[in-house]
Amino acid sequence: MEWFNDFWSTYSTLVFSVGVHALLALSIWLTLSCGLLSLANAAFMGVGAYVSALLTLHLEWSFGSVLLAGGIAPTLVALIIGAPVLRLSGVYLAMATLAFGEVVRITVLNLEITGGPEGLNGIPLATEGWHIALILAVTVYGLARLRRSKVGRAFEAIKEDEVAARLMGINVDRYKLLAFSLGAFIAGVAGALNAHFTFFISPREYGFENAVDILTMAVLGGTSSLIGPMLGSSILTLLPELLRSLQDFRSLVNGAVLVLVVLFLPKGLWESRRIRAFFKRLKGGQA
Amino acid sequence: MRFLPKSLVLVGALAAAGLAQAADIKIGVAAALTGGAAQYGVAIRNGFQLAADEINAKGGVNGNKIQLVVEDEQGKKEEGINVFKKLIFQDKVLMVFGPTLSNSMFAAGPVANGAKTVVFGTSVTANGITDIGPYVFRNSVMESDVLPVTVATATKHYKLKQVAVIYGNDDAFTKSGYDVFKKVLEDQKLPVTTTETYVKGDVDFKAQLTKIKASNPDAVICSCLAEEAANIMLQARGLGIKVPFIGGNGFNSPKLFEISKLAGEGTFVGSPWSNTNPAPANKAFVAAYVKKYNAEPNQFAAQAFDALHVAAAALQEVKLSGDIAADREALKNALPKATINGATGPFKFRPAVTKSGKPGGWDADQKPFIYVVKGGKFTAFDGK
Repeated sequence: MEWFNDFWSTYSTLVFSVGVHALLALSIWLTLSCGLLSLANAAFMGVGAYVSALLTLHLEWSFGSVLLAGGIAPTLVALIIGAPVLRLSGVYLAMATLAFGEVVRITVLNLEITGGPEGLNGIPLATEGWHIALILAVTVYGLARLRRSKVGRAFEAIKEDEVAARLMGINVDRYKLLAFSLGAFIAGVAGALNAHFTFFISPREYGFENAVDILTMAVLGGTSSLIGPMLGSSILTLLPELLRSLQDFRSLVNGAVLVLVVLFLPKGLWESRRIRAFFKRLKGGQA
Repeated sequence: MRFLPKSLVLVGALAAAGLAQAADIKIGVAAALTGGAAQYGVAIRNGFQLAADEINAKGGVNGNKIQLVVEDEQGKKEEGINVFKKLIFQDKVLMVFGPTLSNSMFAAGPVANGAKTVVFGTSVTANGITDIGPYVFRNSVMESDVLPVTVATATKHYKLKQVAVIYGNDDAFTKSGYDVFKKVLEDQKLPVTTTETYVKGDVDFKAQLTKIKASNPDAVICSCLAEEAANIMLQARGLGIKVPFIGGNGFNSPKLFEISKLAGEGTFVGSPWSNTNPAPANKAFVAAYVKKYNAEPNQFAAQAFDALHVAAAALQEVKLSGDIAADREALKNALPKATINGATGPFKFRPAVTKSGKPGGWDADQKPFIYVVKGGKFTAFDGK
């Protein structure tokens, strides 16, 4: 038990980060599953983090309502910008959502209430392990159900061929907006959770670099199933910590691992078809 | 001959055991050794290493050797928290130095304070750091202590009547520097002709400088990092602005003159450390640093070097019991009384004034050095 206490006091933040990053990777998986390359999730995370932190600091709302508000605020933003932005596709959508991220960052930089470039500090510790575990479990369950539902099938149809989906009577624009704003909700909640265990937030945490990080997590893990993004985010969060003993070579090895994965497993680590084939071969070998 | 390797192993094990026993004060250092803040973090690590070697060569503190546990926090807040937790709960260090950036301190400081472990910042100048709690110490001299002296000295020397201001408004460091300048100028009743801003990464400042030139100031106050400051100086001279500059802590880098050459002549800068300070403690530090690392030390190395000596001075008064919680508490109680005469001059702590009124940590109580730039070099200003 003492061993566990030592472990937990040392690595609890790391475990929290794994959970929050898993939520972020799932949020971008949702838009990717609808064929949208959106890079706005870091900005949505930032909106959620700032809204929730300000509510905690100034209005002292309870943590539950703060989390809900942290999710709803970016969803509203997503609904507003979604209508015009989602007319774009491919790299043009990526560019527009990146630009949106910059707008959010610069707004936060220049507002008085957000503390400008100095950020917000003194956010009380409110996130506990079970909060993250519960929210992650609910999200995974919800997304798994969603995939098998009419909505999930519609997402898949849009991803495979937008014109064909439209001809089959799927309201493409509405489903795209749904994926976009649901993704914003998850990212916002993740941001709110993150803000309440790191004591401090600043605009630089929600910029371009983080948008790319979130995308990398999902793509590294593989976007064909829900396991992929969670696997990818766990690896990207834990790897630097596991490599700590390598000291100066840490970043080098970290980068090398990523390059090798992309070179040899271009569809991500967890590709359902490949894994199934692997197990079939294993069974065949035994027989 | 066959027993020889075995006996060698035994001797080795004994030696290792002996070493482990002598190296019994574990002190954590969290510094940004990679990433954007690495240029500061590496200097800080070097400063600590130099001080530890020096203390250990003299027999340690009360016979106990100091063992530094250095970890890279990459200048990121999550890494800062992870590293602090590893040092405090896993390595069980007596106290932690670092992290390098104020942002990381806002995230990691509460962890150490909550674990009742002294955290000692050497390069964290932001307001509110010592509001975190009573276990937070720093020997970083705040801009609010340096800039009033710099501005007052320059005003007297140049007989300034009005000044222009330029600063980077998207960087925590330059923005907080500007806030201090603004307050100082109000306090000292020095009118501002115009306030211009730029963002990180800008290389062309002619638009802002043209406005500054038109407003006809007696000096330009610049809360900028060294690279941008150098460009601003060069372009100001190009546009025919002849008035001197007054800078904040960001000017304290040799880079400033590598780029700006002689454009910065007459600039006034305040700094907690001076490489030309003739005090024997500083001369010894500079000589030892150059010998060990074959490079010129900077302010960050000097402050780290002094910080470990401050901690060592406090440890001299602490009777270590071996119970880590009790020892950490004893160190926290002894540290505020520690004073040294180090590379950055005479040093002592003063209790922080917190926003909430609750007891906070401890800030540096130190006098800044004022420089004027002559011949592309920082020269101590002698008041004439």
